[in-house]
Amino acid sequence: MIRKSFFLPAFCLVLLTMTATVSARAAASGDEELDPIHHSVDGNYMDFSPIGKLELPRIFVTSSADEGLGIDFFLTSTAAVERGGYAATWDTAQGEGRYYEAHLTPPGGGHVLVDMSITRHLVFAWIGMLIVWLLFTHIAKMYKAGIGRETAPRGLLQNMLETLILVIRDDIARPSIGAKSDRYLPYLLTAFFFILTCNLLGLVPFGATATSNLMVTAVLATFTFVLTQVGGTKDYWMHILWPPGVPTFVKPILIPVEILGIFTKPFALAIRLFANMTAGHLVILSLIGLIFSFANLFGDGAGYGVAPVSVAFSLFIYLLELLVSFIQAYVFTMLSALFIGMAVEEHDHGHHVELSPTH
Amino acid sequence: MEPTALAYLGAGLGTGLVALGAGLGIGRLAGPAMEGSARQPEAAGDIRTSMIIAAALIEGVALFGLVICIILATK
Repeated sequence: MIRKSFFLPAFCLVLLTMTATVSARAAASGDEELDPIHHSVDGNYMDFSPIGKLELPRIFVTSSADEGLGIDFFLTSTAAVERGGYAATWDTAQGEGRYYEAHLTPPGGGHVLVDMSITRHLVFAWIGMLIVWLLFTHIAKMYKAGIGRETAPRGLLQNMLETLILVIRDDIARPSIGAKSDRYLPYLLTAFFFILTCNLLGLVPFGATATSNLMVTAVLATFTFVLTQVGGTKDYWMHILWPPGVPTFVKPILIPVEILGIFTKPFALAIRLFANMTAGHLVILSLIGLIFSFANLFGDGAGYGVAPVSVAFSLFIYLLELLVSFIQAYVFTMLSALFIGMAVEEHDHGHHVELSPTH
Repeated sequence: MEPTALAYLGAGLGTGLVALGAGLGIGRLAGPAMEGSARQPEAAGDIRTSMIIAAALIEGVALFGLVICIILATK
């Protein structure tokens, strides 16, 4: 039994090492280069290498002096250059000839006002939304029919999701928000499951992490920001604009800090999610990249020697990423609930007395 | 030294300092939290929740620092 449980992971590791080394070598021998940052940022194509790349539609809102505003739509970046007459420029000589990596400028002296192109991260955000929508309309129907409310939850899916839903409701929403928690529960559940799905989609082969895009996380944080401000009670605004229980001469210092605090909270939410989801991917790719650094510096033998260590470490980071996916979805929901809770809670009448016991 | 070189140097040093600060902060937080939940296992859930909140806040400050380092490094 011990032998069996040892050999299976060892075998998987060897297999993984071989696959990683072979496919990465194939990539490195072509004109492709292994660039960690390139793989984690957004792009105008979906990467199915070594099979190929799928270019995504480009939508531009252009503005030129003689024609004014206009909208251009192309199915691929190549079509934009070949049929639309767009001029392509590249940051580095490396990418030359690949139109999906180029900066495109419209013909006739105009410039791109807004680039509304469908990007990789957007596609994966849509896939995430679709998965969440399909799963939860199904689950909601089951609850409406009484399964799970009057009887025990039925099936693997409902049992699994009910555990997570209950964690959000009983461990996050109710303790942090209190009496009004049911009003904010739909948002918290949506945020949690959307972030979780997006995070996990990034760990799927050929996948991309929509939450490793600052714009996606900024929009999510904006939702929390708006909900917090809209739900804010009189007490909440009083505490920001005229903090009680504080000597008057401290107030000019405290009020700007409190006002700044309104904005830094969602900002930190956005940055946290973005940085956590980006960092893990960069670490994995950098570890894989070590193989090539060693192969280049000390010859092929060193590359093959480092490969098992590299792959073992990336496997470890990969599993850590799996944990981080859950933790970050949890933390985002938790902090959103806390911020909303701080804004909407009704203070007891003894509150001010509590702040200054000598009163 | 060239300004770019200094920026890279600053970014590298800054990242290390950020990691150091965040590590110290979260370490100081997690140690007593574990002690606390070992002494009072029935309070482990509450302790964990408040630990995660505090850790997230420390992490937030660390990430602000990190963002500045990234801006320096990509200048």
